[in-house]
Amino acid sequence: MPVLEVRNLTKMFDVLKAVDNASFEVPEGSIFGLIGRNGAGKTTTIRMLMNIYMPTSGEIIFRGKPVDHEFRARVGYLPEERGLYKKMKVLEAILFFAELKGKKGRDVTKKAKEYLERFDLTDRMNSKLETLSKGNQQKVQFISTIIHDPDFIVLDEPFSGLDPINTNLLKDIILEKKKAGKVIIFSTHLMDFAEKLCDHIAMIDKGKIILNGNLSSIKADFSKNNVKLIYEGDIFFLDNHPIVDHISDFGNSVGISLKSAEQTQELLRLLLEHDVKVISFDSNDISLNEIFIDLAGSAPKEEYRFVQL
Amino acid sequence: MFNYRIIAVIKRELREKLMSKSFIIMTLLMPVIMFAFIGLQTLMVSFQGDKGTKIEVITENPDLTVECRRVFNRLPFIEDGSWTITYNTVPGKDLKEYIESKKGELLSKKLTGIIFIPQKALEDKAVEYYAKTPNKLAIVAKMNGPINNILIDRYFSGKNLTEGELAFARKSVHFNNFKVTKEDKIEKQAYGNIALAFVFAVLLYMSLIMSGSMTMSAVIEEKNSKVVEVLLSSVSSKELMTGKVFGSSITSLAQMVIWLLPLIVLMSTSWIVLPDQFKFDISYGHLIYFLFNFFLGLLIYQGLFAMVGSIFNTPQEAQQGVFPLMLLIIIPFLLCFSMINNPDNIIAAIASYIPFATIIVMPCRFTLVDMSFIYPLISCVINILTLILIFPVIGKVYRVGILRTGTKPTMGEVIKWVKAKE
Repeated sequence: MPVLEVRNLTKMFDVLKAVDNASFEVPEGSIFGLIGRNGAGKTTTIRMLMNIYMPTSGEIIFRGKPVDHEFRARVGYLPEERGLYKKMKVLEAILFFAELKGKKGRDVTKKAKEYLERFDLTDRMNSKLETLSKGNQQKVQFISTIIHDPDFIVLDEPFSGLDPINTNLLKDIILEKKKAGKVIIFSTHLMDFAEKLCDHIAMIDKGKIILNGNLSSIKADFSKNNVKLIYEGDIFFLDNHPIVDHISDFGNSVGISLKSAEQTQELLRLLLEHDVKVISFDSNDISLNEIFIDLAGSAPKEEYRFVQL
Repeated sequence: MFNYRIIAVIKRELREKLMSKSFIIMTLLMPVIMFAFIGLQTLMVSFQGDKGTKIEVITENPDLTVECRRVFNRLPFIEDGSWTITYNTVPGKDLKEYIESKKGELLSKKLTGIIFIPQKALEDKAVEYYAKTPNKLAIVAKMNGPINNILIDRYFSGKNLTEGELAFARKSVHFNNFKVTKEDKIEKQAYGNIALAFVFAVLLYMSLIMSGSMTMSAVIEEKNSKVVEVLLSSVSSKELMTGKVFGSSITSLAQMVIWLLPLIVLMSTSWIVLPDQFKFDISYGHLIYFLFNFFLGLLIYQGLFAMVGSIFNTPQEAQQGVFPLMLLIIIPFLLCFSMINNPDNIIAAIASYIPFATIIVMPCRFTLVDMSFIYPLISCVINILTLILIFPVIGKVYRVGILRTGTKPTMGEVIKWVKAKE
């Protein structure tokens, strides 16, 4: 049984349909990615999950019941637009957010100090937030999100604006939480991240869910006729070639979609014949980015491609 | 009544405000500002800037001229040299010509003015004043009494009156005010309650505006710093607003109690004795009512200020939007002043039952007018009903407003937010 079910969710802002009849399910113990380009409707969907926006229609079911305060108390939410009380001190702010979730006392303080240690912020514990760098403020914000040990962690674009080291730290904690049986829902327009972290995804474009389900099954479905190629040389001869359906260029690699799965060998032969130096040739492999382009037309803007997960 | 989320928000508000430097500074500074305000007003009224005034007093009779010189030379403002008076005797028929000759001096203000006391004034007390700016109340105020005394003396001279009788004739009427109460006692009324009504009005006015503005800027800041979205993932917008409004209101109430401490001390000890004319007559019940009413007022106005803050994105935009709200506080405040002149003022009496206005007008009226406790109680009920009626509206606007960014919404849009179903 899914832990969270989104059924026919629609949100209108005047005449603009920000989310259009979206439905998807988040399975227990999974890392779930809500992916799509900027302005696709990810944040609006997440805000409805968090009960910040009221849906125009549709419903969100948490363990068989519509989302309510019980869900709110058990969820940790990191919004896309981060914000903290600038005049508050670091530890004080973290404890305040814990108290809003009904957690207070020595245990919480101890845990807050442990996280501060881990994020290398122990010496800033009593500093005012406004004196912290933006990156450090983000760390405090993330600690505030997970300090009450939520069963669900909802992260809206968690990696945007983070440097590679903190991206890794965040990724480690996400995986740690998954191991501890927590459900992580995050939205991103960075396909690489989603591909490497998620078990399940929902792809949203122009407010509509265009794809959703288990990531491995989705990839298996889409990769049947696909070859991921890294090469040196010229492959213009493949344009409009009878065995090629279409080619997606990703800069340092290309995805070649063939008309039939049996033509893989033929493709390899053609490449060698045309003196193309093949560095990597993965048949039946497809990136999430390619799937997105297939479905939505063009790739979302990729940032931080250099970050290795 | 409050769940742990609202309590967490209230606690944060109290921690941030009650312990802040600005709270301590404002608490200490406010009485200073208030007394400076009263002092400045008194100073401005008493400051006449008439040093160097040069007056010429003309009569038609040399004896009268001498008499004027004798009396006026003893006036304090002549003795200290701030005014100079010259004297002349000119027959009435030549006056026009004489004034004409002095025209240059009058226009160049070498001479401030000419007071002409005609012979006829001994019968009708009508004197004439010629000057470039004759509507100078200070001249009238300062010269009226001395001239009157001379005329009285002259009128009664030779009529066999004693000095005591003359002194009586010179005296003006003095009103002693007595308060008649239900309890069958009639007591001499001092100015204490008028002063207290004034203090109450100023405290309510300044405190409501100050705390309201602070709440408004805090909401705008939360909105701008985006912290509001994090908060809304834990608390509902209603809970957040309730917590904020109660937190700020408790802070302001604490501040008011501190301001009223001197009054409580005066009421509870007999060590400090006020001069008779400043004695006041209020009970502890009256004070409790004042504080309870103030707390209700705070909830109402802080809610309204928070709502305005939620609509706008910058303090500058909000300053325009907050104007109607300011009027809701300023108009009743001005009414209190008219009431200090006439406590039975009918407009003030009506305003003391009008929602919003009653918060400021009723405590003032209750201090000035002898009335049953029922009336302030009615005012409290009106306040509570106002609160119950406006809070859902404020909540709806706040809910939409705090997450909204971009252009300033129109009035129509805000009304749409209110009408929208939850």
